[in-house]
Amino acid sequence: MSSADAAAEREFHLTWMQEAMNMAEEALQAGEVPVGCVFVRDSKIIAKARNRTNELRNASTHAELEAIDSILSDPALTPPGTRMHYPLSETTLYVTVEPCIMCASALQQMGIKQVFFGCENDRFGGCGSVLGVNSQLPHPTHSSYAAISGYMREEAILILRRFYITENSNAPMPKSKANRVLKTEIKPAALKP
Amino acid sequence: MALVLGLGSLLNHSEFPNTSYTINQSSDSITYTTSRQIAADEELCIFYGNNLWFRSADSTGDISPPHFVDDDQWGGLSTIDVYTEHNHIAMSNHNPFSQGDPSGIIPEETLPFDRFKPLPEEETLESIQTMLVWVVDIADPRHTGTMLKWLKHNKLEEEMGHLKRVRKQGGTSTMLLIAALPLGTSVSLSSDPLPFPQLLESLPQDLSLGTPYTIPVPSSVALTPLSHQLKNCLWPTIFAPKRKDVGEEWTRGKAAWAWEAIHYVMREAVKIKRNGEVPIVSYVPSPYGSESNSALPIAFASHDTRNSANHPLRHSIMNVVRKIADYRNTPLSDATTESPSDDNRQNGSHYLLTSLTLFTSHEPCVMCSMALLHSRVKEVVYIRAMGKTGGCGGLTCLPVLKGVNHRFGILRWKADLVDDEDGILVLDDDVDA
Repeated sequence: MSSADAAAEREFHLTWMQEAMNMAEEALQAGEVPVGCVFVRDSKIIAKARNRTNELRNASTHAELEAIDSILSDPALTPPGTRMHYPLSETTLYVTVEPCIMCASALQQMGIKQVFFGCENDRFGGCGSVLGVNSQLPHPTHSSYAAISGYMREEAILILRRFYITENSNAPMPKSKANRVLKTEIKPAALKP
Repeated sequence: MALVLGLGSLLNHSEFPNTSYTINQSSDSITYTTSRQIAADEELCIFYGNNLWFRSADSTGDISPPHFVDDDQWGGLSTIDVYTEHNHIAMSNHNPFSQGDPSGIIPEETLPFDRFKPLPEEETLESIQTMLVWVVDIADPRHTGTMLKWLKHNKLEEEMGHLKRVRKQGGTSTMLLIAALPLGTSVSLSSDPLPFPQLLESLPQDLSLGTPYTIPVPSSVALTPLSHQLKNCLWPTIFAPKRKDVGEEWTRGKAAWAWEAIHYVMREAVKIKRNGEVPIVSYVPSPYGSESNSALPIAFASHDTRNSANHPLRHSIMNVVRKIADYRNTPLSDATTESPSDDNRQNGSHYLLTSLTLFTSHEPCVMCSMALLHSRVKEVVYIRAMGKTGGCGGLTCLPVLKGVNHRFGILRWKADLVDDEDGILVLDDDVDA
């Protein structure tokens, strides 16, 4: 691929990632951990979602799982006969933060084609940061999938910082963060072996 | 719940029964045996199980809540009719912990489950985490005392307590001085020469010390003998094996509670398998002991609905987590008894699955195990291990991974206590439970 092609392809992915970032922004406005995603099939967004864990008091309502539910509930997107057979095998996910281990496993069970994400998730990341569910953990039947980082990484980190600088009143024992200041310096991603 | 007709229907329920019963399938009969001396005119009572559909006559609580919420949208379970032909599992529900002092501690080896203990990670010289420190050679060992005073004077003597202060090697004593990089910084081989710390300019001049230099040393204590041996190659390291993994003690009453919960799970699995579902069931009862019931006043159960919902991710755990969340979100549940800023919520006791035990028929898959970790569950008790797909010790073990922010206990029900002759719970080994 020529460098011009590579640049064009990166632009293509960044367009979708911007849509995911818009969902993260919506999450932030709603007082949720700002993570957003879009699922793209045939160059069309078929679902977009954001975290709803605080609103629903359910730690499993991450953006990816919310979007999967909406895709499966639409017979036009998921004909009934195809739901149990890797219904996302022609679908790409763009998500602002590396999918957590739960979502990485869910995506594998749904047969996701590939994943693009912004920044790594050192606490829960399921695409290499804490556990490589997408390609390293050997599942007896599901296929592995590529998970590519670094699309709007700095924006993804900054919006998370904007959230964590405020008090998360939904967490147990909220900490007072009155003295916190927003850091804007971002360290480069660590090289993965 | 089983309904016994005939003589059995005359026996009332008690939390502290004086009569036990055994079911004999070959003769289709039930034998009742008194479990202590019975006084004249004393009523004979049996223990019906924890899944009561009525308020127990000797219960201490003001209100006995409905035992589980029926909600078919998320894998709701309707009332059970166990007394049917093909359910061998259901008949073995004689709770061996139901008699005796409920506050008595059960010895570890007679508990009905094994606690999952991860094997310590094998260490190699390469995998040892190191830190860079300044050291100095002391030519004359008699000067060691003077050097220790210097450390104390500079308030350095308590630093790096996981290492021995002095290494003696081939007649040379070497003393640990200070860390060369901030703690938590790993040693990078390519880093530029470090600036000489100003503090080290004040080392005593009259002891014929060498020039201080930097070396990598272990950054933590040795937990195993092998690790100790390896770390000692770098620098003498303190050996501090973890105390024998002492799990929470279980009382007879709590074991009886767990027994009932596990048998409830097995009975439900029988039933839903007949309905064409994958026979995986998860159950979250109120915590054992009346004081902590505010964490979840009623019990919740869900089964796997991937077949009926036509959705590959409708696993029993995702269903039950959602059901509890929905319950907590309904104004009827706790909003009437407490405001959102109530202390109970602030201290986290009503947060997700905090302080709750989840009983499930099969080891949860990676997705479900992580959903439980996100939900801060206290412990998971499962019946069948899923060696190729499970996230609680099978394929991987999420709560022991480095980096995750919550740990939960993993208890595996002893296989010889599961009477599943018909193989109701047997799944293909590639299924995500």
